[in-house]
Amino acid sequence: MIDRIAFGIVAAALLLSALRVVTSKNLVHSVLWLGVTLASTAVAYLLLSAPFIASIQIMLYTGGIITLMLFGVMLTRRGEDLAIPNDTSEGGRALVLSLATFGLFTGAVVMTPLPLDAPSITVDTAELGRQILGPNLMAFEVLSVLLLAVMVGAIVIARRRDASVDHTAPGLRLDTDPSSEDGSAS
Amino acid sequence: MSLPIELALVALFVPAAMAVLLALVPPLRRTGRPAAWLSVLAATVSLGAAVWLFADQLAHPTRDLLESVAWLPHAGASMADVGLRIDGISVGMTLVVTLVAFCVQVFSLDYMRSEPDADLGRYFAYHSFFIFSMLMLVLAPNLLQLFFGWELVGLTSYLLIGFYFKKPSAAKAAVKAFWVTKLADTGLLLALLVLYSHTGGFEWTSHPGADVATLVTLLLFVAVVGKSAQFPLHVWLPDAMEGPTPVSALLHAATMVAAGVYLIVRTDPLFAQAALTREVMVYIGSFTAIFAAVIACVQTDIKKVLAYSTCSQLGYMVAALGAGSVMGGYFHLTTHAFFKALLFLGAGSVIHAVHSNEMSDMGGLWGRMKLTGTVFLVGSISLAGMPFTAGFFSKDLILESMLESGRLLPWLALLGAAFLTAFYMGRVFFLVFLGKRSEKAEHAHEGGWEMRLPLVLLAIPALLGGYFGAHFAGMWHLDYEPEWNLQAFAPSLVPILGFVAAWSMYGRGEARPAPAMLAPIARLARSGALDHFYEGVYRVLGLKLAAAVGFFDRYIVDGLINLAGYLTLTGGQRVRRLQSGNVRDYVFVVAFAIFALSAFGMLR
Amino acid sequence: MPLAAWLILAAGLFSIGLYGVASRRGAIGILLSVELMANAVNLIFIAFGRYRGDHLGQVFTLFAVALTVAEVAIGLALVILLHRVRRSDERVDAVRELHG
Repeated sequence: MIDRIAFGIVAAALLLSALRVVTSKNLVHSVLWLGVTLASTAVAYLLLSAPFIASIQIMLYTGGIITLMLFGVMLTRRGEDLAIPNDTSEGGRALVLSLATFGLFTGAVVMTPLPLDAPSITVDTAELGRQILGPNLMAFEVLSVLLLAVMVGAIVIARRRDASVDHTAPGLRLDTDPSSEDGSAS
Repeated sequence: MSLPIELALVALFVPAAMAVLLALVPPLRRTGRPAAWLSVLAATVSLGAAVWLFADQLAHPTRDLLESVAWLPHAGASMADVGLRIDGISVGMTLVVTLVAFCVQVFSLDYMRSEPDADLGRYFAYHSFFIFSMLMLVLAPNLLQLFFGWELVGLTSYLLIGFYFKKPSAAKAAVKAFWVTKLADTGLLLALLVLYSHTGGFEWTSHPGADVATLVTLLLFVAVVGKSAQFPLHVWLPDAMEGPTPVSALLHAATMVAAGVYLIVRTDPLFAQAALTREVMVYIGSFTAIFAAVIACVQTDIKKVLAYSTCSQLGYMVAALGAGSVMGGYFHLTTHAFFKALLFLGAGSVIHAVHSNEMSDMGGLWGRMKLTGTVFLVGSISLAGMPFTAGFFSKDLILESMLESGRLLPWLALLGAAFLTAFYMGRVFFLVFLGKRSEKAEHAHEGGWEMRLPLVLLAIPALLGGYFGAHFAGMWHLDYEPEWNLQAFAPSLVPILGFVAAWSMYGRGEARPAPAMLAPIARLARSGALDHFYEGVYRVLGLKLAAAVGFFDRYIVDGLINLAGYLTLTGGQRVRRLQSGNVRDYVFVVAFAIFALSAFGMLR
Repeated sequence: MPLAAWLILAAGLFSIGLYGVASRRGAIGILLSVELMANAVNLIFIAFGRYRGDHLGQVFTLFAVALTVAEVAIGLALVILLHRVRRSDERVDAVRELHG
């Protein structure tokens, strides 16, 4: 009984905040609503007996991602408006597609025999750690390499070029390339 | 190869070779008189072969040769053969054709003297081609080859009627002849198809059963009605007089128009099984005989008189064949060829002298042109069927057989036509050769020897040909005994009366208006009512049908093609919009594709 | 709670995210919507893992989270670059070099 109520609350929170993310006119509002969504997801994880993941979710997502997003929004502002516009277009076909997809997944779920009750489980984070560093060690190591690459890559992509010291190949220079100034497509 | 086959091949292919030579070597053709003489030479050779062949056949009267080679291979055997059929019927006709063709070509040497060289060469090339085409028809062993010859003579007729193609009336006449006969030829084509589908071949000796035989012969008769100018498809023959007079003599009197009659004679085994067709033939033939004779009485153009006369005489032949008398039809065909060709050439001589076709420009020519007048008289009395002339024998035979078959009304029609025949020929003779000379006739004189020789040459069989009827009948596997009794001579009263009537009206050689009885018919004939009717039918059916087919072709057939092109182009334009360069569109497409693939995978 | 309920919830979340991806014009808006979709997927992982009874779902989710964070980092770097190159707007529509 309790769990059904809890599920209902979490579900409502998730869906409502997600809707606000995609419909909000203000970009900052969208980011903040995303934060709510991510936090609700963490609660959902708790309901599903995954406390470690829930904490990871809070730390990385609601903490890191939201911060990152806000940075991005602020760094790419046009003009001095406080209300950052967040345009949407082509809503019609998007709606159709999303409804169709929802229908498809729901149909798949409904047509598949799925367990009704969760088996009893002991929450054991240490076991999780053993799983990660045991059978899935390779993935873990690759992941760390990937994260390194991502860090370097992000820096390379976003760094500001100094005109007098430009080590990039001539064809790849961007902000000195005159044809990109007007910003019009060919 | 036996002698008859060789002779037949010579008769057939020497003129053909000459025609090909003149056709393919324009410098030779354009020399004019030399080309003409070459053609005459070829015609002479052909005539010689025909005479020899005829004599040889006389020695073996009942011989029946058939030599053919397989032509269209089909399922192992041959679908159709090409070859020669040498028997009494074909040999006789061969002689007639080559003799008249020879006379006409010689005559043309003088008559067409004033033509430019290139045209003269063309003229004689056509003549050589005609001999070949007609003999292909005559010597054909089956209906398919006969059809081949039939179409070729139709083509030659078109070419020769339209010889003066720069003259609009001549060009129109040529086209009219071609169209009318072509329409009728569909009957022949359909007959071939029906015959083939029922008997697997084109032989006229087959026995497909009474119904099929009736159908086939009726279709064949349709073609004959066109080619032999029977009512109602006779309309092209008077117009065909636009061609040079020698051409009228050869094609439209003696040979080509007789091809229809020849067809019926040849395919007699089939017609013998079709009583209905024969009935139809009797009535159409006898009607045409008297109908055309009436119209001939009111014509002022000498060639037109002879044209309608030909129509009428062909009607006699058709009626005779319908009554079952093959001898009557065939015999009259041969005698008619001689005296009608003679009459046309005689008319040609007169026309050449006075430079006009109208009889009002002639008159009193007897003093100036005794030879022409004499042969013209010979031809006229033979045509009328006066006693002891060739025409007498053949016409009498026809009248007798009609009477014997018990058909009284047609017999009366034929009798009436005989009266009128004498009447209109008498009219022509008196108007042309007696009476006062017109201005144009003052300077008339006989033509050169080239014109006189054929006249004499043709007058002989025109007068005496009848006596040999019995002799030749054996060659045609027919019984014929001319009877010399009162009953035989009785019908000759009719032409005598006809001449008397003509003398009474035109004896003084003055042109008088047509007798009151015939005036309305004269008006009707001149009005071209039948032509207007045909034109109307063509407008209503033909043009509308053509318009419908054209519409279908232009908008539906072409429309489909154009539609395909249009769809490709606009489809391309539309599809091009997928390349919008817009990243979000691409994202959408990818998302949609994933959805679609998942759905497909799930629902399968 | 039947597993199906969690799954349908996740499906709904995913669809909302899809709607956002297809309709948002700004790059950051699209990134946010992608986040939603990733989140939904993680939820599915955890849910299935719970009903399997072992920790495999959580393992997957851990990796997924790490990867998603990496992707956002790169994405934002690109947004910044875009902003620098095309001063006027960061709307994705403006990038039309592939226009046919």
